[in-house]
Amino acid sequence: MTAPHESMLDDVAVYALGALPASDARRMQDHIASCESCAAEYRALAPAAAAVGMSAEACPDEERGAVVASPLLKARIMQQVRRDPGNTARNRVSRRGPLVWPPYLVAAACFAIALYSSLMNLSLMQQLKSDQSQLSQTQHRSTALAQNLAAERETIADLTSDQAERFNIAEGQIVRVNHHLYLTLHDLRAPERGKVYQAWTLPKGSKVMEPSLTFVPDAHGAAVIALPQNADQTAAVAVSVEPQGGSKQPTSKPLVVQSLV
Amino acid sequence: MDRDVEELMARVRARDADAFEVLYDRYHRLVYGVAMRMTNDVSAAEDLTQAVFLKLWSTPELFRGGNFAAWIVRVTRNRALDMLRSRAGRSESELPESLPEADSIEDVAFANIDASRLRAALDTLPAEQREPIELGFFSGITHEEIARRSGIPLGTIKTRIRAGLRRLRSTLDGLVTV
Repeated sequence: MTAPHESMLDDVAVYALGALPASDARRMQDHIASCESCAAEYRALAPAAAAVGMSAEACPDEERGAVVASPLLKARIMQQVRRDPGNTARNRVSRRGPLVWPPYLVAAACFAIALYSSLMNLSLMQQLKSDQSQLSQTQHRSTALAQNLAAERETIADLTSDQAERFNIAEGQIVRVNHHLYLTLHDLRAPERGKVYQAWTLPKGSKVMEPSLTFVPDAHGAAVIALPQNADQTAAVAVSVEPQGGSKQPTSKPLVVQSLV
Repeated sequence: MDRDVEELMARVRARDADAFEVLYDRYHRLVYGVAMRMTNDVSAAEDLTQAVFLKLWSTPELFRGGNFAAWIVRVTRNRALDMLRSRAGRSESELPESLPEADSIEDVAFANIDASRLRAALDTLPAEQREPIELGFFSGITHEEIARRSGIPLGTIKTRIRAGLRRLRSTLDGLVTV
């Protein structure tokens, strides 16, 4: 090997270390490609030069004066990397994430939800109408009960009034009070099938009995009937047995006939 | 080439961030250490480390085989030199990052030697050899600048660098064969 080439091998070492100026380094690279002895020297020294750099690895041992990068550095780097749209790890995570339904399943689900909602609405509307109807019936019953209760209270008040006029008959009493007329009967036999008891009133100045209410006694044979006619305009009261629905004229012999004059 | 690193790099080329994270965990101390040694600045070292790894992510094809640790050290060194040049006028010197396959000659076996043993091997060199080697590598100055600063003839500097690298190589061979 010649002395000039020995000097060239020194340059190869400097090149391997990375301490040649850039222009010299390019020439050396070309030379090594064509000179076997310089290439062999480079192959021998480059690993040692690399080892110089590798010896600088930061020491993780804190007891020996650790030189470590901030954990935030890794966080910053990985944040950028994982944001990369091409990141397959990110895509794998995404695939494990929200379930993506095919369009036909989405459409089917929407239709099912709409159908269910419609049926539920229909059912709720029907339920609402039914509830409103029941409420109306209840209100009517309540009104009727209230009216009945008021009438019964009035009846009781009239029947117990000291001012009531009482006309005794075999089956009970006829009571006249506050323009009202009452039949208070007891021990009445149950009428035959298809028959009811019917009250009759004779208006003052008339010779013809007028039909009034029909009724049946309770299980004990009792009946308290408030006649709708004005007591002050009634001259007599009668009771007969008549066909179901009542008659316009008495068709049987009256079991009660009582003058109020 | 380390087959594990080869597989990891193949996954990085396929844009696998998990593989990238494994490489980061394995090599960030080396990158950061070189960056700190060259800049002596925590903030600059972190910026360099980030730049190097994001470059690895964006252009993994630059690594074409061989000793991955040596390659990433070269990348880090060149990045640091760019930074140092921007701070003050410096003579250009750098290591090629993308060498042809035939030039990927770093002995893979050396990659398995831990840093503390490498430092110990470096410390066995005489100071007259170790100092120009470390100056040349970590300061990023050319051999001419080293000669000018030290007042030692350029030829002597080159000879000492070569002798030191040959001795270091011999020491490393001993570590591998032990």
